[in-house]
Amino acid sequence: MAEKDLAPELTLERVNVAPAQTWNRLRTNDITLTVPARGRKGDVYFSLPRLFEGVECGMGREVTDWVESQAKDARYVEVPRGEKREEPIVVAVGSGDVADTGVLVRAGAEATIVVAADAGEKDGEAGTSASLVRIIAEAGARVHLHEYVGVGAGQQHLESVGISAARDARVDVRQYLLGGGTVALGFACDLAGDHARVDLGCRYHAGGTEVLDINEIVRQHGRRTRSELSYNGVLEDAARKDLRTTIDLIHGAKGAQGNEAETVLVLGDDVVNKTLPTILCDEDDVAGNHGATIGSVSPEQLAYLADRGLSRADAERLFVRALYEDALMHAPCDEARAVVEAGAGTLLDEEA
Amino acid sequence: MSDERKRTQVADVDRSLYDFTKSEEGYERYDDGLTPEIVRAISAKKDEPEWMLEMRLRALDLYHAREMAPNWGPSIEGLDLDHISTYVSPKTKQAKSWDDVPADIKDTFERLGIPEAERESLAGVGAQYDSEIVYHNMREEVAEQGVIYTTIEDALHDPQWEPVVHEYFGTLIPPTDHKFAALHYAVWSGGSFVYVPAGVTLPYPLQSYFRLNAAGAGQFEHTLIIVEPGADLHFIEGCSAPKYYEANLHAGAVELFVKDGARLRYSTIENWSKNMYNLNTKRATIGADAKMEWVSGSFGSHVSYLYPTTIMAGDRGTCEFTGITFAGATQDLDTGCKVIMNGADTTASVSTKSISKDGGVNTFRSSVVIGRHADRARCSVSCQSLMLDDISRSDTIPAMDVRNATAQVGHEATIGRISDDTVLYLMSRGCSEAEARTLVVNGFANPVSKELPMEYAVEMNNLIKLEMEGAIG
Amino acid sequence: MATQLLTVSNLSAGTEDKPILHGVDLAVGAGECHVLMGPNGAGKSTLGHVIMGDPAYRVTSGSIEFDGADVTELSADKRSLAGIFLSYQAPVEVPGVPLYSFLRSICQMRPELKTTARKFRERVGAIADQLELDQGFLMRELNVGFSGGEKKKIEMLQLLLLQPKLAILDETDSGLDVDALGIVSRGIQAYREQVGGALIVITHNTRILERLEVDRTHVMVHGRMVAEGPAELIADIDRNGFERFEKCEDCGGCPMVGDAE
Repeated sequence: MAEKDLAPELTLERVNVAPAQTWNRLRTNDITLTVPARGRKGDVYFSLPRLFEGVECGMGREVTDWVESQAKDARYVEVPRGEKREEPIVVAVGSGDVADTGVLVRAGAEATIVVAADAGEKDGEAGTSASLVRIIAEAGARVHLHEYVGVGAGQQHLESVGISAARDARVDVRQYLLGGGTVALGFACDLAGDHARVDLGCRYHAGGTEVLDINEIVRQHGRRTRSELSYNGVLEDAARKDLRTTIDLIHGAKGAQGNEAETVLVLGDDVVNKTLPTILCDEDDVAGNHGATIGSVSPEQLAYLADRGLSRADAERLFVRALYEDALMHAPCDEARAVVEAGAGTLLDEEA
Repeated sequence: MSDERKRTQVADVDRSLYDFTKSEEGYERYDDGLTPEIVRAISAKKDEPEWMLEMRLRALDLYHAREMAPNWGPSIEGLDLDHISTYVSPKTKQAKSWDDVPADIKDTFERLGIPEAERESLAGVGAQYDSEIVYHNMREEVAEQGVIYTTIEDALHDPQWEPVVHEYFGTLIPPTDHKFAALHYAVWSGGSFVYVPAGVTLPYPLQSYFRLNAAGAGQFEHTLIIVEPGADLHFIEGCSAPKYYEANLHAGAVELFVKDGARLRYSTIENWSKNMYNLNTKRATIGADAKMEWVSGSFGSHVSYLYPTTIMAGDRGTCEFTGITFAGATQDLDTGCKVIMNGADTTASVSTKSISKDGGVNTFRSSVVIGRHADRARCSVSCQSLMLDDISRSDTIPAMDVRNATAQVGHEATIGRISDDTVLYLMSRGCSEAEARTLVVNGFANPVSKELPMEYAVEMNNLIKLEMEGAIG
Repeated sequence: MATQLLTVSNLSAGTEDKPILHGVDLAVGAGECHVLMGPNGAGKSTLGHVIMGDPAYRVTSGSIEFDGADVTELSADKRSLAGIFLSYQAPVEVPGVPLYSFLRSICQMRPELKTTARKFRERVGAIADQLELDQGFLMRELNVGFSGGEKKKIEMLQLLLLQPKLAILDETDSGLDVDALGIVSRGIQAYREQVGGALIVITHNTRILERLEVDRTHVMVHGRMVAEGPAELIADIDRNGFERFEKCEDCGGCPMVGDAE
């Protein structure tokens, strides 16, 4: 029967689950997603080396299993020891695409990985795209991860990332989440080795009735590991955002530091803006900090900008445009640029 | 070497101040477990109105039907209601004079300093021993202003107040709220009913003290406070119990109604013994221009679930929550607060501290919900956690849900330990290591202790000192 | 010759992973004023902290004798009670602890300073006035939110209150404006005159030394004592810097210069 059904679906309950949960009544612990489940009878399943099975991914096991069952191929890239790979590893997905990628960055090597998810050719149509990227950064490796997501208003994108960072490895992450009917992003990074470090900057924009669900987990196992997470977003209209972040300072992570900060600008009257910034701490010789500010453009800012000739609407546009300009400025490749340009629409043309 | 540097080493705390037991001989003690018969017996003993019995039986069904959330919170596996007596009462009538309180019970409260505090600085005192209030008294001049401070049982027998209790009781914390709220309504006994008429300011606080003496028993007191428009009350609640190996359970409920322009300060020092499951529910609803202030110190219990909640229904209301939690060996304390801001121009500030040591677990859990209509609402949450060793645990789980574009929310959390530099600095001025650490911990707790009534601040400092005093030096 | 107060002999010390001090000798007589100079990173502050008993540093060889007793193994609080005082370069903030209660408790634990609350208030008040420290500061939290200059004054306040036999001033002059510097200098002066205690001034700035009568000057480079001389050595360093001492690095055991031998 399932074979005859043209669009079999699967409901993934409880994905993007934060490691520590809270009152279920708040409906902030997880998200439920319905995804296509094409029968793959007769296909060969390609899979990544076993090594990647141990990497925790932000959206959780269910999404990993689903991606593995749906991806046409599993792409494995290895960056040899000590090599600085100039050419970015690009994962581009459009509506209907499901990508499964594994990158092994050997000791002392450096690599740039770009995930670019856009509406594809089926803009305006419903559809689901997904990317699962697992990265193993060996000792002293450097990883630059760029995630650019901007899919259609009727589309859904699942973005799951898992990183394991060994001693002295450094991971820089830039996330630009520029809209889509439903965008769910899970990010997990295990700072397994001493002195490993992750710096993550996430900027997001959602409007209309878009739903944005983010779950980010940093596990700090190693001594003197460091995480710096910063979030900066703009929400308009009736957008819904749920951001769960967890800094997990694990027993033995002497001298570890974890910092997290969020700034949200709320511009719509029907916005739902949820945040769950968790710090778990099982070690005394650590420092964990979190800070958040949520609000609209302040009267002082508005007054200042009005003095320079900007109305409230102009001022609000300014904040949104700044986000897209930042995304464009940091785009590491054409695919990423394309996501920004498609998402920005006319926003960036005003200047021209 | 620095990793292995000596941390605060702590011997077993001397709890002799709290840890003494009195014989239960001659007490009325209902069978362990939870059946409709027991619920009916409690109700019959109290000679309650029919609606109360119905509420109890309904709540009992809810209790059996509900489950604890499977995905969060400390384990309550050690709690078996089949081994808990929900009603234990000393054979004594409620007294208005300490001289009429049985000697061993009077001795208990004297050792806890209650009669002394009453003479010096309180407008009224209620003292509960196991399931029943054994002493209740209020100063004449306060009574003359129309203030009512009595037990809910007595209020239910007073034709003037029975309709008031009926109107408010169980409306803010419904029996459907969670499993242990349901349990509370099935077997509640004792507690306080306070009514402050419009415009009346009490010069001194009222204080209720809850002592659970019986082993393997539960305490389920209900506190219902109504502060009418423009009135002002400071209510203090104290709790303690001696230590047993059997589990004890505390599932009280506190419902606070703070009307327009009124102010209520609710201070608690909870020092249950470390075999106590403290599953307490406290909630306030406040009107326009009203002010709710919580001051909360949690030191005792084996497991706590405690999140005083403020529903800010009116415009321009303010809420302040100041709390400290100290978790030592075998303790898993899940504490915090909830603020629901529905009124415009409301202001809330939450400031909490936690101290973890000897393998104790602290979880700060909070939620701030700002509704659609809470224009210009402002909320700040600050949460600081101090780790005294590397075998303890401290988690911070603050949820925020903001649905108004003009609201401003600020949140900050920090976790850390006492820095070696600070300890050395203080030692270089002659403090021993233990003194240096105690000094820092007291300083850390100071913003909370200075909000407490004097004798509670002293008690809290003593508790910290007891907890910190150790093998060093 | 004054009676011996502090004798540091052949002292080597460092952190867990890094040796910092190598075979340091230092002798200070009762009531003497010594200056310890050297370029940044020479180990001067480390020496101060090791004499105070900072557990962040491990003594690998040598000994520290103070007032006739071996204190090498003593914890910092015991050394403090014995009469050693270290003024911090960056005094640590202790939130929630009012300065006044702190001062009161550190004095009450010393038999020779124990006094009534009223007398203590007077004494603290007098010292605060002397240091031009607003008495309102006494109710504020220890070092919290104080400017650099104010923190140094509070260190001086403790110095004058505790009357130690030996005060080690670790870069007490750094980050001070001229006015604050003057007040701190007067504080040091007052300590010398009123208490008659010995002093080790750690600095790489000679300004603060202008008003002091210095008995001996020591120069430290790369964790080794490379020179010792009379007060005049300061003027020499002021003119010529530390370069000539740093050159000695390669020759293993640095010869003493000046009039030491």
